[in-house]
Order: sequence, then structure tokens, then C-alpha cells
Amino acid sequence: MIAMKMPLAGEWRRWARWPCASTALLASVLLATTFSTTAQAVPSYARQTGSECAACHIGSFGPQLTPYGIRFKVGGYTDTDGKDGKVPISAMAVANWTRSTKDLPEAPAHFSTNNNAAVQEVSLFLAGRLTDHIGTFIQGTYSGVDRKSFLDQVDIRYASTLNLGEQEGVVGISLNNNPTLTDPFNTLAQWRFPYTASDFGFGTGAAPLVENLGGSVVGINAYTLWDKNFYAELGVYRALSGNTVNKINTSQVATATIDPGKFSGVGTYWRLAYFKDMKRDNFNVGVFGFNAGVENANDPGSADHYQDLGIDASYQFLGNREHIFTVNASYVWEKQNLNYTYNALGASQHSTDTLDTFRLATSYHYKQTWGATAGLFDTRGSSDNGLYGSVSYNNRPDTSGYILQADWTPWGKEGSWGAPWANVRLGLQYTGYTRFNGGSHYIDEVNNIDRKATDNNTTMLFLWLAI
Amino acid sequence: MKSIDYTRTAVLALALVVASGQVLATGDAKRGADAFAEECGDCHSAIPGKSKKGPMLTGINGRKAGSVTDFAGYSEAMKQSGITWSADKIDAYIAAPKKVVPGGKMKYDGLADAGTRADLVAYLMTLK
Repeated sequence: MIAMKMPLAGEWRRWARWPCASTALLASVLLATTFSTTAQAVPSYARQTGSECAACHIGSFGPQLTPYGIRFKVGGYTDTDGKDGKVPISAMAVANWTRSTKDLPEAPAHFSTNNNAAVQEVSLFLAGRLTDHIGTFIQGTYSGVDRKSFLDQVDIRYASTLNLGEQEGVVGISLNNNPTLTDPFNTLAQWRFPYTASDFGFGTGAAPLVENLGGSVVGINAYTLWDKNFYAELGVYRALSGNTVNKINTSQVATATIDPGKFSGVGTYWRLAYFKDMKRDNFNVGVFGFNAGVENANDPGSADHYQDLGIDASYQFLGNREHIFTVNASYVWEKQNLNYTYNALGASQHSTDTLDTFRLATSYHYKQTWGATAGLFDTRGSSDNGLYGSVSYNNRPDTSGYILQADWTPWGKEGSWGAPWANVRLGLQYTGYTRFNGGSHYIDEVNNIDRKATDNNTTMLFLWLAI
Repeated sequence: MKSIDYTRTAVLALALVVASGQVLATGDAKRGADAFAEECGDCHSAIPGKSKKGPMLTGINGRKAGSVTDFAGYSEAMKQSGITWSADKIDAYIAAPKKVVPGGKMKYDGLADAGTRADLVAYLMTLK
């Protein structure tokens, strides 16, 4: 079953997703699903290594990784200070208050059309070293918006050091449920800015298939960081059956009106990157891709095929950690061969469409405590009346805007009060839209009225806790 | 003429001293603190009694290698190295860890710049 990565209440999401209710496969693929990733912050890793959160994370709080954090992840979450008795369990909570310029098209269940306060998520992690070579990042989450619990992110790794002549590398295998969850850099979907976003927000537009699979697939990936510089990864994914998804409740599919879909064969994920750590600063440049055919589970044999191809780059200036500057960028191009949707369902205007997404985020942190981040998002796609006509005046999914965030992280440094148990981030985030569903105006599908892109501008005040 | 010879001898001696590592004495501890944050601070602490993935570095001057009792992560190679840490030993180790302690666990390629090493060592000497 192909699903979206964010658990959101079924009914109220309708105002924020793309049309094509009759298009079973595309409904699962093209929805505006980039509301947010579920947040992650895992102090059990700090307890395991004896290092402070700031050693692994920019700004003393997850998830943006420093080179030390990158190596910890690549090493299978197994690095340790050598002491026994470490329990690989952490907990986390995110509470927020959200206001949009204009009321939501309809009130979410249990909430109002605006000015909503919620404990958005409470998570429990099994995260840390199990053996010398096996470590985990497993997250179970309760959504205070959806009022349900589910198995969230899963990454179970085996990693080992390999020597070939004078060269040394880390090689590993990951069993996971999300193609970009495994990536060690903060440029791909799962780990890029914003690191938390409101479930009452409007997202960042349509997303390529590779960004819509969290919780609804299972994959096995082989990877290496060779000679400290060359990162390579290859993974194959199968879609979980609808029954399996319902049993473990990994996604909102059970409550959303989305028909099941599955891969025809396997989905393939690949990644190449060059990473250079100069200690004072570091950078990475990379490429990645995902290919899969998605077919209707009830009508096998004819599939829509998706080819995602992306490039990304990042730079971090760390210096003596007093002034830290980062920039992360990615561009993903998706080609959609809509054989099933066009020929069998007649639900798209074309048999071939494209989707382009660009993301940029730059941050500054002072004394690993005070942070400011600015991000840009831009999504453009083919004009297709069948896919977008009911919400877009020009039949395009084009959505763009910016995200500004200021945050305060008082602890998480060496010598901080309560370290490494007490971790708090307080932040204010503003999302502004210049285009939504094709332009400065779009069609509010729920109420069938005109709505401005700027009506969706969203302010979120959040409190993020981790122990 | 003799005074000229003395001067030449003194200059030569100074050059030899510098070349042999006594440049450590000119290291800047303040710059060394920055170098510590950049190069060492993820794995080592400058807080007394605090060990991370690597042992604490407070009191390192004059300490026998592999002797921090609260740290469990030493390699046998380090414990058997017979090193007693001093400025010149630290400098050599930081320059090429695997060369000084073959089989050691520290995942660090070494710091090539002698000036930065001098600053770093000067800072480490202040950690009592």
C-alpha cells in the first residue's frame, strides 16, 4: 500500500491536498503531503556516546547532523563511550499553537478552523546500540491531532569497518520503512528543513513519489562511506499490504479515503555523494534517484511509473562552534508515466507529466543556543486538468513560498543543566506563500470558492521536548 | 670575530630548538581552545572528570597513557604504549596518531599544521 508519510486526520486534510479523488494511484502519490516530517530528537544517543547533543546536531537539537553525527549514523548508531548499562530508549513531545491568515476551509475533528493548540506528537524511541555492530532508530508516535498511535520511522542497521589495502571504509545494511530516512545529510525529504511543522499548516506543495512512501514500504539498503569521503547507497523497496499497514497503523491511510496501491516489482533507491570534512567546515554534493511502478492493488497489470532524479548539496561552517552557519539545497525532477491513470481511469489529461521541486535552507546559530533559519520551497509541474483542474485555475500544482524560523535551545551543550536528559527547543515559525495550487489564487475545493495563496500563511509557536 | 661566532651559534641553536619542537612553547592557548573545539571537542572533554567517546583531557600533562580509570574505551595498544603524556609526546601523537600508537582506536587522521598543534598543546597544558 503506497501512502503518505505524515499521519494526519482524514477529513480535514481534504482542503490541503491535491484533487484527483477518483485517481486511485495519483491520490496516493501526488497529494500535497509535505506538511511536515514527524520530528526526531534522540537523547539516548548522547547517553550512549557520552557526547552532548551539540556534538551530533547543529543548534544542540536534532535532526541536522554535524560530521560527528553523520559518522555516528553511518556507523549504525553503535558508537559508545564504552560504559555498560546504557538503555537505548528516548521520549519526545512536540506541542504547538498555529494560526493561519484566513481560517482553514474546514475545522479538523476535535479542533477549530483557526488558532489551534495541540500536543501534535508524543514519540517513544528504541534508539541506540544493541550489539557492537547493530543499532536502531525506531520511533513509535501518538498523534495528538489524529488521536491515534502508529509505528513511525524504522531504521535498523548493521555496520562494520572494512579495510582494503591502505583504504578504510564503513559498510552497512539498513532495514527501513522510508527511502530517504537512511540518508546522513540534511538535504533529502526526511531530514531537511523544516524539522517540525504544524499539522494545521498547508504544506509545501506536491511532492515526488520518493517523498511519499514513509511508513508504507519496507526496504533493504546497502551503503558505504568509503575513505571518509565517498557515500554510496542502493536500496530496494516493496510496498506493504493494506492489511499490514492497518495492523501496524503506520500511516493515516486507514482513516483517509485513499485506495490501496502497490509497487509493480520493487522500487529502487540509489544515492551517491562526496563528503569532505575539514573540521572547521564541511560540505557534501550528491545525486540520488528512485524508480517505481505503482499499480492498483485491485487491478494489477497496468501501472503508473515514476522516475525521480535529484541533486543536492550542503555546506556547514562550524569553527569553534560559537558561530555556526549552514546551507542545504536540493532539486528533484520527477517524470510520471501515467499509463494506468490516463488509459484505464481517464483521470489525467496527459499520459506523461513532470514535477520539479526545489528546496533551499540556510541557518545561523549563536553559541549553539540561538538559531535562525530561512528556507525557500518551490514546486512546479505540468499543466494537467485531470489532476489539478478542480483546485487550480491554470491546472498546475505550482506552489512556492518561504519559511522563517527563530528558535532557542537552552540546553544540550556540554555542561548544560540536566544533560543529557533535559532537552528543550522553543521556536517560532512563519510560512508564507507566493503561489499555491498554480498561482496567487486557487480554488478552495471544500467550499468551492476562491482563495488566495497568502490566506494560507501560517504562524506556529512550538515547544519541543526530548529526554 | 669570536662574538660573531657566538651569534651564529646562538642563531643556529635557536633554529634547532624551533625545528625540534620547542615551538610548542610559543603556542597560543587561546587559539588552542578554538582548535580544541574544532578538532577534538566532539570526542574529548575539557571538563574535569568528564569522558566521552575519548577520555577526558584534563590533567593530561604527566599522565600515563591509558590510565583514566573512569574511561572504558582504551585500546590495548594505548594501554601498553608506555607513553607518559608531555607536550612533545602529545604533539607527535596529534600529528600522526596511528604512527605513534599503532592499533589505537582514535579515529583521527592527524593535524598536519605545526602551528595549530602548538596552539592546541599549549591549551591542553592549561587543563589541570
